[in-house]
Amino acid sequence: MTPAMKRIARNSLLALASQTILVLGAFADGPRSADGHPDFSGTYNIATVTPVQRPRVFGDNLLLSPEAADRMVAEAQARKVAGQQDSDPNRGAPPAGGDGSSGAAGNVGGYNSFWIDNGDTAFTIDGKFRTSIITSPKNGRRPELTADGKRRAAERRAFYRENRGDAWWLEVEGPGPYDGPESRTLSDRCLLGFGSTGGPPMFPVLYNNLKRIVQTPTHVMILVEMVHDARIVRLDSEHPPQSVRKWLGDSIGWFEDDTLVIETTNFSDRPALSMATRDLKVTERFTRVDDTTLLYSFVVEDPNTWTAPWGGEYPWPATEERVYEYACHEGNYAMEGILKGARILEAEAMTDSD
Amino acid sequence: MFIKYFLILSGLILISATAGRASAHHAFGAEFDPNRPLILRGPVTRVEWVNPHAWIHMEVTKEDGSKENWMVEGGTPNTLLRRGLTRNSLTPGTVIIVDGYQSKDRSNRANGRDVTFTDGSKIFMGSSGTGAPSDGRDPTERQ
Repeated sequence: MTPAMKRIARNSLLALASQTILVLGAFADGPRSADGHPDFSGTYNIATVTPVQRPRVFGDNLLLSPEAADRMVAEAQARKVAGQQDSDPNRGAPPAGGDGSSGAAGNVGGYNSFWIDNGDTAFTIDGKFRTSIITSPKNGRRPELTADGKRRAAERRAFYRENRGDAWWLEVEGPGPYDGPESRTLSDRCLLGFGSTGGPPMFPVLYNNLKRIVQTPTHVMILVEMVHDARIVRLDSEHPPQSVRKWLGDSIGWFEDDTLVIETTNFSDRPALSMATRDLKVTERFTRVDDTTLLYSFVVEDPNTWTAPWGGEYPWPATEERVYEYACHEGNYAMEGILKGARILEAEAMTDSD
Repeated sequence: MFIKYFLILSGLILISATAGRASAHHAFGAEFDPNRPLILRGPVTRVEWVNPHAWIHMEVTKEDGSKENWMVEGGTPNTLLRRGLTRNSLTPGTVIIVDGYQSKDRSNRANGRDVTFTDGSKIFMGSSGTGAPSDGRDPTERQ
């Protein structure tokens, strides 16, 4: 093992310890506001290598052995170290036709790993490692989609079919995925962060996993670094009429003993949570479990989409790091490139058909 | 038991890594053209330290001796800023190599699939003392 790898391993063990929390009930000695409630104000870094959804190989097994967790962290570190190895200075262009990368990297790859900041550690609760953030249902996975959910999922896959250079959308009835900004995803448009980073519920993502909570006697604000989403929670309030709809939903909160409960409804037609509808209801809970850690839990209900409610939990460790501005549309050349590229393909297709 | 855990963890890590890749700010596949691969070599002219993604500007000399300006897309600068790196960490004049794919709008833009110095080492690496990932090239790491 090189000195660099040893240092990374040592740092990772230290970080691992910092993500280890004990939940034997709320931690009563933490800071409190003047009204006597726990004060959750602070900055938190929620990055973790523990996945949101449990890999099927674990079945109903919620817990991960310490040995297995160590290996998971070591593998994550090794992957990052591998990504930092030198490249061939005499390398040529990548393969024509694409490099085979999947997901948002869409067959063209993304960018070097030094831009990625998705955590180096697995978390524990009650001293035990977890196989997933989702804990309910028992298999740690989102429940089956309803019939309507399946129909919408299929439509979505068809609509966002990749632009492979043939302007295929000209042959399809109705709006196309590259018609204009409104047809693009909310993250393309810099309206909401990807991966439900702002939620609710709020999940760890590829980078910019910092959250800042500011608590007053009447409100709790949760600033999400990605796309600078700011969730404003009104304490001891009521939701507005159903006609009022918001990108992040309408959040009200209250304390149950030392736990802050947040209920969010009144979503727009496209909540940040993938596949959810305007009827989504999310209930979140924050509890302090030690001097520097909150436990965040959530329950998702959307009978239009999932056949049962689902939920989970994971720790929010405090950090000395700062939340930076993420002025998403400031340099969003991607939108221009995506739309202009589609216009060029359309013009070529029209010319070819003449 | 070891093999069982190895297989399980491989699956876990694979899924975790895949989930990460699937969650970039926007779809690179919608922005860049897999049929237009390229390799760019030349000096950095400036760095746009902006969100959602930083852009490195560079000057490329073509075979006929003429020069072109290209823009290369990276990730969010917030991550590097948190590691102590700034827009000044990559100074104009530094010669870099980029492999990626050209933008679908056929402009001189590309994704920074792999951005390195001329010796193949990764840009922004080896910045020991800043908290940045290290690659063993910094003398302070060889103790």
